[in-house]
This record gives sequence, C-alpha cells and structure tokens, in this order.
Amino acid sequence: MNANPFTRRTFLGQTSLGLGSAALSSLASGTTGSGLPHFAAKAKRVIFLCMAGGPSHLETFDYKPKLDELDGKPMPASFTEGQPIAQLQGKELKVQGHLTKFSRYGKSGQLISDYLPHTAKIADDIAIVKSMVTEQINHDPAHTFMNTGTVISGRPSMGSWITYGLGSETEELPGFVVLTSVGGRNPQPIASRQWSAGFLPSRYQGVEFNSSGDPVHYVSNPKGVSPAQQSALVDAIRRLDGKRNAQVANPEIDTRIAAYEMAFRMQTSVPELMDISGEPQHVLDAYGATPGDGSYASNCLLARRLAERGTRFIQLYHRGWDHHGDLAKYMGVCCGLTDQPTAALINDLKERGMLEDTLVVWGGEFGRTPMFQGKGGPGRDHHIKGFSMWMAGGGVKGGISYGETDELGYHAVQDVVHVSDLHATMLHLLGIDSARFSYPFQGLDMRLTGVEPAKVVKGLLA
Amino acid sequence: MRLPLVIAFSILPCLSSAAEPELDFNRDVRPILSDKCFFCHGPDEHERGADLRLDTAEGALADLGGYAAIVPGDPEESEFMYRILDKDDPMPPEKSHKTLKPEEIDILRRWIEQGAEYSEPWAYVKPQAHPAPEVADAGWSLNWVDRFVLARLEDEGLEPSPDADPVTLLRRLHFDLTGLPPTPDQVEAFVSGQKTLDAVVDDLIASPHFGERLAMYWLDLVRYADTVGYHGDQDHNISPYRDWVIAALNANMPFDQFTREQLAGDLLPDATTAQRVASGYNRLLQTTHEGGLQLKEYDAIYAADRVRNVSAVWMGATVGCAQCHDHKYDPYTIKDHYTMAAFFADIADRGFTGNVLPTKRPPEIRIFTKEQESEIARLDAAIKTALPADTQKQLTKLDSDRQKTAAAAKKAKGEKQVELKAKLESIDKAIAELVDIEKLNNYRKLRKQRDQLEQQGRLTMITVAQKPRTTRVLPRGNWQDDSGEVVLPAVPEFLGQVTARGDGVRADRLDLANWLVDADQGVGGLTARVFANRFWYLYFGTGISRSLEDFGGQGQPPSNPELLDRLAVSFVDSGWDVKALVKLLVTSRAYRQSSLAAPDLLERDPHNELVARQSRYRLPAELIRDNALAVSGLLVDETGGASAKPYQPAGYYRHLNFPKRTYTAQTDDNQWRRGVYTHWQRMFLHPMLKAMDAPSREECTAERPRSNTPNAALVLLNDPTFIEAARVFAARVLIEGGDTVEQRLAFAYRAVLSRLPDADEQRVMAELLAVTQSGYQQRPVSADELLKNGIAPIPTDIDKLELASWTAVCRALLNLNETVTRN
Repeated sequence: MNANPFTRRTFLGQTSLGLGSAALSSLASGTTGSGLPHFAAKAKRVIFLCMAGGPSHLETFDYKPKLDELDGKPMPASFTEGQPIAQLQGKELKVQGHLTKFSRYGKSGQLISDYLPHTAKIADDIAIVKSMVTEQINHDPAHTFMNTGTVISGRPSMGSWITYGLGSETEELPGFVVLTSVGGRNPQPIASRQWSAGFLPSRYQGVEFNSSGDPVHYVSNPKGVSPAQQSALVDAIRRLDGKRNAQVANPEIDTRIAAYEMAFRMQTSVPELMDISGEPQHVLDAYGATPGDGSYASNCLLARRLAERGTRFIQLYHRGWDHHGDLAKYMGVCCGLTDQPTAALINDLKERGMLEDTLVVWGGEFGRTPMFQGKGGPGRDHHIKGFSMWMAGGGVKGGISYGETDELGYHAVQDVVHVSDLHATMLHLLGIDSARFSYPFQGLDMRLTGVEPAKVVKGLLA
Repeated sequence: MRLPLVIAFSILPCLSSAAEPELDFNRDVRPILSDKCFFCHGPDEHERGADLRLDTAEGALADLGGYAAIVPGDPEESEFMYRILDKDDPMPPEKSHKTLKPEEIDILRRWIEQGAEYSEPWAYVKPQAHPAPEVADAGWSLNWVDRFVLARLEDEGLEPSPDADPVTLLRRLHFDLTGLPPTPDQVEAFVSGQKTLDAVVDDLIASPHFGERLAMYWLDLVRYADTVGYHGDQDHNISPYRDWVIAALNANMPFDQFTREQLAGDLLPDATTAQRVASGYNRLLQTTHEGGLQLKEYDAIYAADRVRNVSAVWMGATVGCAQCHDHKYDPYTIKDHYTMAAFFADIADRGFTGNVLPTKRPPEIRIFTKEQESEIARLDAAIKTALPADTQKQLTKLDSDRQKTAAAAKKAKGEKQVELKAKLESIDKAIAELVDIEKLNNYRKLRKQRDQLEQQGRLTMITVAQKPRTTRVLPRGNWQDDSGEVVLPAVPEFLGQVTARGDGVRADRLDLANWLVDADQGVGGLTARVFANRFWYLYFGTGISRSLEDFGGQGQPPSNPELLDRLAVSFVDSGWDVKALVKLLVTSRAYRQSSLAAPDLLERDPHNELVARQSRYRLPAELIRDNALAVSGLLVDETGGASAKPYQPAGYYRHLNFPKRTYTAQTDDNQWRRGVYTHWQRMFLHPMLKAMDAPSREECTAERPRSNTPNAALVLLNDPTFIEAARVFAARVLIEGGDTVEQRLAFAYRAVLSRLPDADEQRVMAELLAVTQSGYQQRPVSADELLKNGIAPIPTDIDKLELASWTAVCRALLNLNETVTRN
C-alpha cells in the first residue's frame, strides 16, 4: 500500500502532481495525510453502492411482524410525536404493512425480502446493519450528510478524505471515481457537491466517468486532430514549458509538465478502462451488463475494473429509490436493475481474491417510514430514525445482522449506528483512526466524523 | 497535588537570555494557546475544563485556591507550566490529539517570564496610522507602503527583488486591473516610454473592465450564482445584481455605501431601483425547493447561512461556528450568532412557484436596459395621447367585462349561452360607440407593445422587509428546540452595541451596515483591515495576514501589522475610496518587483509574506478564458447582461431534475462573453471553471485554490472554446501576421505573450507546424473537421490545410504555462 501521498505513484487526485509549491509545503507540514495508515488496514479500497432516493428498509432487510398486524391502522402517536416529518407533514399517519415477503437465507439464516433474490445468495458475505440513523430528512442534505458528515457545503466527501489520506495506487486513473445510473421512480437530482473535495486540495475530488460522450470531460482529442498530431502538440508544449523553466525556475512548471503527461496518458487509459466489450461473456452475463449501456450492471463491472487498477474509492449512484407511491412496482424496477449486478460484484471480487481487501458498502441516504404514503399506489415517506445498510469484505464479518429497530421499524433501538459511526468504522477498516484524521480549515481541525465522538462499530469487524 | 517544577524544567534547553527579543502576545503566544488550549479553556463556557479560562488574563491569573494557572514573571509558580510538562497526565490531554512542541513550550515559558502580558486580539484593536518607518535604503521607496515593506525586509536582512522588466510589469497590471492582456500596441507604448506607468494605471482603473475584474472577486465572497444550489438547482433571477456590482465598482462607489446598498438598499430613504437591485445580496444564499421540506428547518438553515456570509465577508469572522455552541476560539457566543441572524429575519423569501423554469422567486423586479427604458417612456407618452384618460378608463372596464362574459359564454349552454352572447354584442357595441375604430386599434397596438416590452425586462430578486420572524437561540443549533430565548437584532456583545436609527426600537439591516463601516462607533476599522488585506492579496498574491476569511485567534496574525493598520486607516480616511487604495498598491515599488525567486528565498518565504518579490501564479479560471478570447479577437466587449452559456459537454446536467434540464450553448455573439458572465450552475459548475478552481459559490470564498492538474490540462487542450479560439486566432495570424513562418510566429508570440520567440522556440513551433501539416495533407478531410469546432465563421479565403495547421501552433501557445501565468 502506498502510505505516503507524496510519491509519484498516483494520478489526478494524488501526490505531488498538481501541487503548487505553496500547497506542497503546507501539506508537508500538516498533521494529517502523512503517517497513514495509523495501523494495519484490513481494506485497501472502498466500493460504495449508493442507492439514491432512500430504499425502504421495510421491503429489503428489516422484517417486523407487528407492522403487518397493524396494517391500515393509525400509527401510534408514541412513535411519531415530535419527530421530523417530510411529505407527510399535517397528514393522517397510518401503518403500512410490508409490501413483500421475507425468508431466511444462507447458513447464517439472514432475513431478506423477496425483492432481492440475488442478494439473498450472498447472505453469508454481508453484514446487515439494521439500526442506521441519520440527521437529515430531505434528499440533498441527507446525501451531503452521508458523504461529508455535515450539511454545510464546502466540506470534503468521504472519497476525497480517503484518497487524501491514503493516496491512490494508480498512475493512470483518478483515485476517486464516481459512476451513475438511473431507473426507478422519477430520479432525485444529485449534486457534484457529493463528490467534492471541499477544502481539501482539489486534486482529491471525485472524477465522474460518463457512460456516453467523453468518459471524462475533454478526454478525447478535438474533432479533426489525430493522435499523432495531438502527441506532437503535447510534446511541443512540454519542450516550450521546459525551456521556459530553465529561465525562470518555477516549480509549478515541473508540476504542469507532469500534469500534461498524465492528461495525455489518460486519453488512452480511460477509454481502455471503460470498454468492457473484452470481458468474457460469462462475466458480462453474471452482471447482466451490455457494453456501453450505462447501466448499473455495467457500472458494477467497471467498479471491479477500477478496483483492479488501483482506484482507491469507487462510488456508484443508482438513482430512483424515492418511493413515495407505487412502492411495490418501483421496488421491482430498482431491485431488478441492481440486485443481480450487486451480488455479481461481490462474487466476482471474491473469485479474484479481492473481496478480502475491498470494502463494499450498500445503502441509501435514509430509509422509509413505516407509515403509508399514497402518491399512486401505497408508498412510504422519507425516514431517518432507523434504516438498513450492509457492508461486505475488507475486514467485515459476513453473515451477520447488527442492531435493531423497534417493533414497527421506526426507531433504531439497539446498537444504534449513526452516519458518523459508519464513517469511523470505514476509516478503521482502512487503517485510519478517525479522531486523529483531520485537516486544518478555518481554524479548526476538521474531521470526516465531525466534532462529536464517533465510534467504530466493533460488532461488524471480522 | 503539586510537584516541584525544577525537575521538569531541567529537561528544557535553557534558551532564555537577556538579549532575547520581547515576545508579542498576539504574534507569538496567542496562536499556540488558541490552537492547543482554547478548545477547553477558551470562550466556550459549556466546554470549559477545570473552570479555567486561558484566553483572558483575568482567567489565567485567577486565584485557584492558593495557586494560579499563570503567575506573571514566575514560570515555576505557574500551575500552567507544571501541567504542560507533566509527562503522566499532560496538557493538552492525549484525547485532544494535540501536542506542544518543545519550542512552543519554550515560548510559553519565556512569555510568563517576561510578565505574561495579554493583549486584545489584534483584529479587534482599532487600527492606528503608524508613521512610515525609517529605512536604510532611502532611494528604493516610491510611496509609504514601500517604507513598511522595506523596513520589514531590512529587519530580516533581505533585499527587495529588482524591478520586473517593463513587459512583465505591464502584463501584470493588465491582468490584475482589467483581467485582459495588453495589445501589442499598448506594450509598445509603455516599453518605448511614450506612456508612463501612472498613465497606464489611470487608464486601466478607468476602464469598464476594471469593475468586471474586481467583481469576480466580490462575487466569490458573496456567493453569487445563477441557480438555487440545493436539490433541483433551479435557475433563480439575479444577474442584474452582478451588473450592479460591476457598475458600482466602475463608478468607484465608496465601499461604505457599497456595503449599505447591498445589505439594506431597500431600507435607504427613497430607495432607487439600483439600490433595490443591490439588496439582492440578501437573496444570494443557497435555497431549496424540495418537496417535503420543513419550513422551520430551512428558516434556521438560511439564517445561519446569512450569518456565516456577512461575518466572513465584512468581519473576517467565523461567527457561523457559534451556531451550536459558543465559539471555541473567539469571543463569539451562541447568542451572538442568533442576534446577528435576527437582523435578517425581516427578509421576505418564502415565495416560490414550484419546480418549473424559469423559477419565480418573489419578491423580484424587472430591470430594463437604457434602450428599453427610453422605449417604455416613448410608449407611455404615446399611450397617454392616444386616447383621453377618461376613455381609457371606460375602455378598461368594458374590456374586463367582455373578457369575463366571453369566458362565461364559452362554458354556458342553451338559453344561458344565448343570453351571454347577446351581452357580448352589447359590450362590443358600447366599445364601438366609445372610440373610433382607428384610434382604438392604434391604442391597442401601443398597449400590446408596452406589455411585450414589460416582459422583456430581466427579473432580479430583491429584498423586501416584512414583519420579522421570531428569532430564538437554538440550543445545539437544533431547530426543533423552542426552549431558547427570543432575541432581537444585535451585534456580537464584545464588539459593542448597535443603535437603531431615529427612534427605532429594533435595529435593522441598515443599522448593521452602518455599524460595519463606522470606524468610530462600529467595527469599521476591522472591516477596513479585512479588505485592505484582501486587496493586498489581489495584487501581491498573499494576504498580509494569510487567513483572508478568519481574523480570529485561529487565523494567521499579520506578517506586517503596522502596514495593515496604516492601509486600513488610509482606506477609511479616504472615504472608503477603492480605486485610490488599488492605485496606491499597484504604483508602489513593492508591486513592481520581479516575481523570479531564488531557491533560498523560495525556501525561506514560500508564501511570499515578506514581499521580497512579487508572486507568480496561474490566472483565475475566468481570465484564462478571457485571455484566449481576447487574443483571438472573439471577445465581446460589452458590459453586463444576462448570464451566458458557453460550450459545455453534452449530458453534463443529466443528474439535475425538477425539471429535467437541457443545456443550450449560445449560438450568437454571447458565446464569446467574458468568464464573469458565465452561467453559474452551483450543483454542476461549468467543467472548465471547475477544473481551473473557480468555486461553486455555495459559501464565501475569499481565496481560491491554485491547482495544477491533468483535468485542467485536458480543458486547455480539448475544450471547444479553446479550439475555436485557436483556429480564429490562427486566421488572424495568417491574415495579419505576414507571409513567412518567422513573421507569423513573431506576430503570434507578440499577441499572446507580448514578446518575440527566440530561435529555439521558433524551431519547436516550426516542427510542430510541419508535423501537423503533413498529417492534414495525408487526410485533408480532418482539416475541415477541425475547423468545424465552434460556431465562429470559417474564413473562405484562407487555405484550410494551412489554417488547420496553424491552429495547432496557436493551441500550443494558448497552452503554455507562461500564457496562463500572472508573473
């Protein structure tokens, strides 16, 4: 592992590349970034599967017999009194029973809903956290909170924190890559703030790869310019900048020459990465991916390819989980698009021996209410006091459930895991002590895990 | 139990001696105490450990029952020293992840030895007009600024750098003051001595581009953008505010007035339209229009946003940190945060018409161009004379009746319908009887034109005061907690008081604005210091205090406090004359220095705090664009207007929704507007701007990062804006640049770099030209493809292969480090 972010081993996001002299000296004297990892890491990289919109925990992993019993009855006020409420503000609150069935799977006998037949097959590999809580009830701030640990704009996302802390292991590709797909209910917007480097140097920002057009902005040669011509151009720029540097001795120019070399190399490496047509048919079939379709399935396969090439943090967004109405129908759509590829990714990583050092996290920015909402057929509103996520690989104990919500799936009541605890646990698996991992900004030692103490969830560790 | 300190002290090297320079609390001691101790022993009483406060002399010297934390002059009797040296249970404690370095401990010990003098936080002490210091080299200085700079250098045993060569100096002035490169003629006039530096500066400061250049910085501070920023990131109407900023800066509006009009333009007596536009400042924050949002929650979020911005922009303060608790390092209490928020509780901003485009965010007004205004006046006059007023009144009533009746008739059936139709006929008859048909048609035509013109005005959000919302202190920042006290508008307690104007009971935004720029009764001295520092940063590359947005205990104390003081006083005394301050700085000798830095100087002073040289850095994003457009001749030389949409990768907005967005790049001259006019989409800032470190403007940005990444390289290499600029520039080179390769290269270098190429450069460029040419000869169709980049017309009288090949040379020039660097 590349513990020192100041080597030439990285790209876009890392190392001395892109560092101005001022930035270099301020970083070098900083209290963080160097000296990492703090202790031996279990995970080398993270694949974060973000189910944007907020999947229902009550139709995926959290089975509550009492919910079916009270179906259609008024929601007991003892649960909801004084609680933040989104679209159901001022509405009559009724219990909505489960809209699907649950069964036990694997040796571990994990309870998983019928919407997730493929996830059911990896039941023994995943640790399901059923007691997640967050602080934000609307999509945009909830995503920001999940990614940055705060709702104030301008703070780094976890991918930026982690690439800043650990560097990357690739010279050809960014250390933090974002891939997006759609399918489901009218997808919620998502802001590039979610993969922003915030106050960290901008080279740690997530780079979004596009499934159509240029895979990375401006990575293709302009129309009418051949590779040989572009190569001659880049070479001329290098020679002219180099000559100038001999006169003015500006360290920025060395950095810049290296940046141009990388940019030019990227013009080949990115298209090569994105082209999955060379993958064997059985692999494509396992994921359900068709080359060039921009689907979540293709993105899962790309995630594996990025992981293989040394990208540190890979974040997939599948948008469409905001099921205020017609939940049964749209769960079918969303799970239909994501369930198989997700399980295929876990299996593929496992087969390649990569699951043990790749941390995979699955979940949305929040869960959904035990109460009925009816925009169209039955649905559920945003819910933040208890929801489910799962983790796998990278030092996580498979085949377990952690924490519980109450009898109606409203409040997380046992072994509650706050978003900051999730962050602390992820960092721990990467060999980072969240309390010691900070960056000075506006006079404060900023942390991904914020000012309140965050705990590593020991029960999830293998 | 206390242990003798003798043993502990013996481990420290004895550095103390009579010749040691006196320590300065603010410069030497406060940064250590602030960073290592104040979190638990500072202003926040809720977190305070051991009931000990170290940020005030009173707290540090207090009798703790026979002993004191700090005993002036006697480190050995100071419990404080004992605790920081205690190996078993050290302060700061392990869990804080902070440690004191031996040299820091030594400073603290010496400070106690020297009497443990506290002084007020430097930023909140009234700035003094220090006399310019005596200097050894009397000949170097051109104005008093230089004497302060030189005195500091002489103290450090350094010499200033030699003056930059005239070409570098002229380019620096052009980029700094207008953001545009000098033309070869302008270079010639200055280098030949035809035009003096003073005259150049005067011209640049008088140029309409001065306001554009400075506005770029202001817009970062106040987080100006064209979209709401949260969730659907819909457009909001605000571009006239941007134009107001540019116009105000060009008109050299005094900074105190500039402040008043933005914070409280609506509250000024007989507020003009321009002042109401300026009050749009209060509407610049990010807002959300997501379904299911809780209004009360967002009232709290917006209030905090406004407090963060006003305190960062004007006071260089992080009052936002006191949203949940008393400030950890500065004397801002949680109550201060909410009393500041209360100033903004009167702003009407709840109106919103749903997730459609263009978004309506009342209150808004329409702004007209000068041409539109005179056309409106003409039409209004014509309408007045078209029909007698009385007739117009009757006609309006009849028209309205007719409209209602027609609508009813449409819905009605049978007998009722017949009845209504008869009524319609009678109304028509009444109209015909009232006015002659020709006159009527003329009148109606004029009215229609007037209505259409009305719709052409650009909408802009303004501030309208309404009955203030109740503001409470929110414990832990929790918007659901109503237990906190109700507060009225007030300034942070330790900074004094603001008085309501006249017999007003409740202070308002205008009172706040006045307080911010009142150097006697308010914090005008602080505001002046904050901006003197930022102007220094703009023209020297680094602030005198490097923390441009935090003048608190955790910020960097100024490297030359007397200079900063004097600049602040001079700014206030000049009547807040921005242009005078700018001129003072750029006509100094210090400004003229070369930016070449010897390695030892670079190592000794990497951030250029001592100003033994000028700074060199990559141009800001907008200027990289402007420069390419300017040298190519494409740049549109117009001030103000709607935001412009340059070329952008297809599908870049695919993640936006409510409603879905399609981006249509300008297909007219607006394609080539300056970067300051680019449509600022907060959630998806134009990739070129983003790659070059322009901020999303979600929060106040006082200093942009200056990165140097492969992404930025890809932009300059491949973004169609730069390809188009290169091909249009290539046409200029071929038409105006002479016939030989040498002549053409000379022309191109002069235009882009204000100098001639040397033999090596000529050779590299000639090789590039030859390789590119042979490529196009082998595949001529690709030359056509290249020339189709962008919408600028392709000249028909130039050989396409030649044009395409020279485009490569021009691309190389636009990509050079020298081209995008302010030297």
